[in-house]
Amino acid sequence: MSLKAKLQRMKGHLVKEGDQQKTDTRQEQVPDSSLLVEADIPFSDRWKELQAKPYVWEGEHVMIREVRYPVAHQHGAYSFAELHDAIAAWEASGRQHPLSASGRKAEDLLFFDTETTGLSGGAGNTVFLLGYSRVEGDEVVMRQHFLPAPHAEVTLYHSFLEQAKKSSHLVTFNGKSFDWPQVKTRHTLIRDQVSALPVFGHLDLLHGARRLWKDELESCRLSLIEQVKLQVTREDDLPGFLAPIRYFDFLHSQDPSVIEGVLRHNELDVLSLITLYTHISRLILQHEHEDVSCEECFAIARWYDALGDQEAAIQAYAFVADSEHPWNVRAKLALGQLYKKQKDWRRALHIWESCMQGTRFVPEEIYIEAAKLCEHQFKDWEKALSYTRKAYEQWKQRSSLLRQKNRAEAQAYEKRITRLEQKLSGAVEEVDGMGSLFF
Amino acid sequence: MNRKKQMGEILDYLKTEERFAQNIVHWRTIPSREAKSVPFPTELDARIREALERRGIPALYTHQETSFRHVMAGQSIVAVTPTASGKSMCYHLPVLQTLSEDTQARALYLFPTKALAQDQKSELHELINEMGLSIKSETYDGDTPAQIRQTVRKAGNIVITNPDMLHSAILPHHTKWVSFFEHLKYVVIDELHTYRGVFGSHVANVIRRLKRICAFYGSHPQFICTSATIANPRELAEQLTEEPVMLVDNNGAPAGTKHFLFYNPPVVNRQLNIRRSATLEARDITEQFLTNGIQTILFARSRVRVEILLTYLQELIKRKLGPKTIQGYRGGYLPSQRREIERGLRNGDIMGVVSTNALELGVDIGQLQVCVITGYPGSVASTWQQAGRAGRRQGESVVVMVGSSTPLDQYVISHPEYFFDRSPETARINPDNLIILVDHLKCAAYELPFKEGERFGRAEITEVLEFLTEEQVLHFSRGKWFWMNDSFPAHNISLRSASQENVVIIDISERGNERVIGEMDRFSSMTLLHDEAIYLHQGIQFQVEKLDYEEKKAYVREVQVDYYTDANLAVQLKVLEEDQSRRHAESAFAYGEVSVHAMATIFKKIKFETHENIGSGPIHLPEEELHTNAAWISFSNTLLETIGKEDVERGLVGLAHVLQHVAPLFVMCDPMDLHVIPQRKAVHSQQPTIFLYDRYPGGIGLSEQVYKEMETILTQAEQLITSCPCESGCPSCVGATDDGSKGLAMTLLRVAQGGSTYVS
Repeated sequence: MSLKAKLQRMKGHLVKEGDQQKTDTRQEQVPDSSLLVEADIPFSDRWKELQAKPYVWEGEHVMIREVRYPVAHQHGAYSFAELHDAIAAWEASGRQHPLSASGRKAEDLLFFDTETTGLSGGAGNTVFLLGYSRVEGDEVVMRQHFLPAPHAEVTLYHSFLEQAKKSSHLVTFNGKSFDWPQVKTRHTLIRDQVSALPVFGHLDLLHGARRLWKDELESCRLSLIEQVKLQVTREDDLPGFLAPIRYFDFLHSQDPSVIEGVLRHNELDVLSLITLYTHISRLILQHEHEDVSCEECFAIARWYDALGDQEAAIQAYAFVADSEHPWNVRAKLALGQLYKKQKDWRRALHIWESCMQGTRFVPEEIYIEAAKLCEHQFKDWEKALSYTRKAYEQWKQRSSLLRQKNRAEAQAYEKRITRLEQKLSGAVEEVDGMGSLFF
Repeated sequence: MNRKKQMGEILDYLKTEERFAQNIVHWRTIPSREAKSVPFPTELDARIREALERRGIPALYTHQETSFRHVMAGQSIVAVTPTASGKSMCYHLPVLQTLSEDTQARALYLFPTKALAQDQKSELHELINEMGLSIKSETYDGDTPAQIRQTVRKAGNIVITNPDMLHSAILPHHTKWVSFFEHLKYVVIDELHTYRGVFGSHVANVIRRLKRICAFYGSHPQFICTSATIANPRELAEQLTEEPVMLVDNNGAPAGTKHFLFYNPPVVNRQLNIRRSATLEARDITEQFLTNGIQTILFARSRVRVEILLTYLQELIKRKLGPKTIQGYRGGYLPSQRREIERGLRNGDIMGVVSTNALELGVDIGQLQVCVITGYPGSVASTWQQAGRAGRRQGESVVVMVGSSTPLDQYVISHPEYFFDRSPETARINPDNLIILVDHLKCAAYELPFKEGERFGRAEITEVLEFLTEEQVLHFSRGKWFWMNDSFPAHNISLRSASQENVVIIDISERGNERVIGEMDRFSSMTLLHDEAIYLHQGIQFQVEKLDYEEKKAYVREVQVDYYTDANLAVQLKVLEEDQSRRHAESAFAYGEVSVHAMATIFKKIKFETHENIGSGPIHLPEEELHTNAAWISFSNTLLETIGKEDVERGLVGLAHVLQHVAPLFVMCDPMDLHVIPQRKAVHSQQPTIFLYDRYPGGIGLSEQVYKEMETILTQAEQLITSCPCESGCPSCVGATDDGSKGLAMTLLRVAQGGSTYVS
C-alpha cells in the first residue's frame, strides 16, 4: 500500500494543526534568481500600487514597502514633530528614567513592530514582516520589510539590518518580551549567513502603559489606548490574530491584496508608537499639565518612587495631594513617607496631620505613621497615644464590620498603647525603633 | 500482645505452618554474590578519585570501569546492571572526568520521570561538591523556576530532564540553547528498558530531532545508556539512538541472599479447578510481614487491584499500626502526592506500600525487605524489576509471587524453571510507526526546515513531507520544507498516552471545594469512569456521577459501598489490507492492517470478599475507532461442518483466551497493549478467525512480531493447555468451564499448527 494512501486512512488519528480553509495550490513561480527583475515578481503592479519594491540580495528578493510622511503630519493627538519636543523635554528634565530619550536624536529611535506566523515563542514561528517608523530629516519614514517566501529570510534580515543599524534604540509595544526575542530566534537560525544583530537600547511602552492605565482601561491593548488616549481611529482594521492566516494564503496565491490588510495594520501600529511615546513622555515630564488626570499623575509618582527618584516623586504626589481628588489621602500618605525617608520629620507629620483635619476617611496607617513620628522623633507621647488609640478604635470598628479580626494586629496595637502609657507615666526608658517591628 | 517476629522466624513460620506451607510450590534461595572490582583507572582525575575514597570506595566494580574506558575512547555504550549496583557511576564518572578537563562541555541526562531526575540531581550535587569541581548541574523541568531557567540554558554543564521536556520545551526553543547544543558531548539515557512500545517509539523520534539540532550546531554527542536486564539492550539502544553502541554487561556488584517463593493459592473447587483469590492470599501474606514491623511492598496488576488491596490492608492494619502507614502508589495520583509517599518510604514513616508497576522504575524509596507480587507481572524483566525492590542494597530479603488463576500465571507458577532459566523478553519499538513519525516530523520541521533529500534518522520522509504540504502544515519553497502554521506542534503531542487526550477526574463531594484528583487516558476511561462506575482513589471509593466524554471530565462523588464495578468492551474488527500471509492445510496466518471499533456495553457490580455479581447496568458511550495492525489465524470453513458452528465458536473463544495470555510473553508488552478477539465469521473472509492486534493507532510492531513467531506461540499455548490439571476447561486455561471447551480449543490449535481435525 502506498504511504500516501495509508496517511489518508490514518488521518483521523493524526493531530490536526488548526482548521485552515483550503485555497487552491498554485505552482510557485519563483524566477531564476540571477535574472531577477521587477517584472518577474508576481503581481508586480499590485505591489507598486502598495508602494512596495523588491530588494534583491544574493539572488533572493524581499519586498520593501515605504511610505513617507512630512513631520508636520498629525497622527492622532500629536504631530510627529512633537517627538522632537518630547526628546528635548527629557533632555531638559535630567531625569533618570527607563523611557528617557535624553542624549538621543529623533533618528536614533526605531519605532518597531513585527507580524509573525504564530504567537508561541518557538523556533518555528516565522517573522514575516519587520515594520518600523523613524524620523529621517524632515520626514517620517514608515518602512516594512516583507518576506514573500520563507527561503528568503537571509535577504529579509540583511535588508532590515542595513537600515536598522542607523538607529540605536528600539521603541516597541511588548517588543521586549515578544517581537525582539522572536527576531533573535529567527536570526539565530541563519546567523552564519547574515551579520550579527546590533545591541539596541530598548524602550518598551507596554510597561509604561500598564503603569499608567492598568486600572482605568479594561485592557492595555494598543488599539484601545489609541482610541481612548491618542485620538487615533482605525477604519476597516484587520484584527491582528488574522495575520498568520492571511500570510499562509498569500504564500499560495502570491497576491499582495491578500496581505494588504496586514500591511496597513502594521503601518498604523508603528505610526501610533510615535504618538504614544510622545504622549507618555509628556505625561511623565509635564504632569502638572491640566489635562493629566490625578490617577495618571499618581501612577507617575509611584513609578518615580519605585525608580528611587524622590524629588520627582514628591513633585507628582504633591500634585495629587493638593487636588480635590479622592486619592489625595493616598498621595499624602506616600508623600509623608518620602519626607520621612528624607528625615524631614516636621513636613511628614504636617502632611499626615493635614489629612486628619479633612473630611475624608483617613486610613489607620496614617495615624500609626504619625504616632511613630510623635513617639520616636518628637517625644510627644501624649499625641502618639492619642493617635494610636484613634487608629485602634477605627481598626476595631472596621474589623467587626468585616467580621475578621487578626490577633497579631490587635496585639501590636495593645502593645504600642501599653508602652506609650508607661512612657507617659515615666516608667520605661525609650527603646528606639521598637515600633517599626510591629508595623 | 505478641512480640514482633524477626525475618528468619517468619520464614520458618511460612515453611512449617500448613496454612501457607502447602501452597508454596517453589522456594528458591538465590545465594549472595561477591563483589568483583578493579583499581581506579590511572587517568581518573585525582579530585574524583579522592572523593570516592573518602566515601569508602577503594575501587570500581568491573562494569563501572569498563563503561568508563569505552566512553573515554569515544564509544556510545549501554550498561546492563541490576538495581543497586552503582549503575549511575557508569555515566557520572566519564561525564565528570570530561567536565574536569573541559569546563565548556555539556551533558544532557534523560530520566523517564521527573522523580528520578530529582533523585539524581541531589546525588550528583553531593558528588560534585565532594569533588570540589566547579560543575553546574541542574534539573530543567516544569518545576524549574523561571529565573533559574535562563542560567541553566546558558551555563548548565549537566542538564537533567525527561524526554517530555526535551520534546516540548527544549527542542522547539533550541535557539535559546545555542551554546548548550554547540558543546553537547554526552547524552545519558537512564532506565533505557522503559523506552519501549509507544513511549519508546516516540522517544526514538525525539532523539532523531535532538541529533538533528545537534548537527545544526555542529556537535555529535555520544550516548551513555543504562538498562535493567532485557534480552536485547544493545539492539534497543541502537534503535533508539541510531548509533553503534557497545554493550557493557560485566556486572561486578555484590548482592545479598534472596528468597524467591512461588505461591499458588489453594484450590477451593477441585472439579472446576477454581483457586482462592490471589488478592486475598497476597493480603494475608503481606499481613504476616507488616504486623511484625517489616517494610513491605505489594505489587498489583491494575489500578483497581491496588485500591482494593489498599482498602483491605488499611482496614487490617489500622488497629496495629495507625492509618497513615500503608499507602497506595500508582499513575493517576498527583505528583506531589507521590513525592510524599516516596519520602515516607525512605524515612520509614510508611511501613507498606501497594503499587502498580509505577514503582518498578528506579525511584529511590530506600531499602525494603519484602516484596509481594500479586499475579505474574506479565514479563520476566518486569518481575525481576519488582523483585529488585526488596533488598536492593543487599542483606537477606524475600520475594513472594502469588499466582492468580489466569492461564499465564498458572503456567509460570507451575513451571518455575521457565521463569528462572528463560532469558528476559525483548523490548521493541517502532520509530517509523506512521502516526508517531508524522507527529515528530511536524515538530522537527518547526525546529528547522527540511532540505530536499534529507532523511529523518533512518526514515525516508519525502512522501510524508509532501503529505503535510498538501495538508497546509508545511510550505515548500526553493528546495526546503518550512513550517507554515500558527500552532505549536509539540503541545499537541504527548509521548506517553496512546489516545492523546486524558480525562480529568473531578471530586465534587464537597460543594464549593471541587478538586481534580487524577486523570486517565480516554480509552481506559470507557471502562473505568463510565456513569455509575466505582472509582477507587487512595482507598477511597468514588462513584462517577457523570462522564462528560466531550469535555473529557469525569465528576465523581465519595461513596461507601461494598462492591466494585467491572465493564465489558464490545469489539468489532475489519481487515483493511492483508500484507503478508502463509498457509497450512486447513488454516492460515496473516498480517495486515485492520480497523477496530470498540464500545463499552454493560458493567457489573461485584461484591468485595465474595466476588459475586450483584447487579449490572448499561453504558452509553460513543464508539471509539482504531486503525492498527493485526496478526490473525484463519480456519477453513470445512471446520464448521466437521465440528459444528457452535463448537467452533466455543473453541475459538477458548483458544483466544489462552493466546491473550501467552502472546504478550513473546513480544514483551503489557497484555493491555495486545488484544485478542475471536470471530466465527470474519468480515473479510467469512472464515472463523482469531485476531491479535496492537492497541495503538498505526501499531507499534507487536502484532508483526506475533505473526513472525506464531508457531512458537502456538506451541506454548498447547503446553499450557495440556499441563493444566483441570478436566475439561477452567479459568486457568481456556476460560470457560463448560464441557468440552478444552478439547475444542486443542482441536483448533492442532489445525492452526497445520494438523487436521481428527483427534488421534
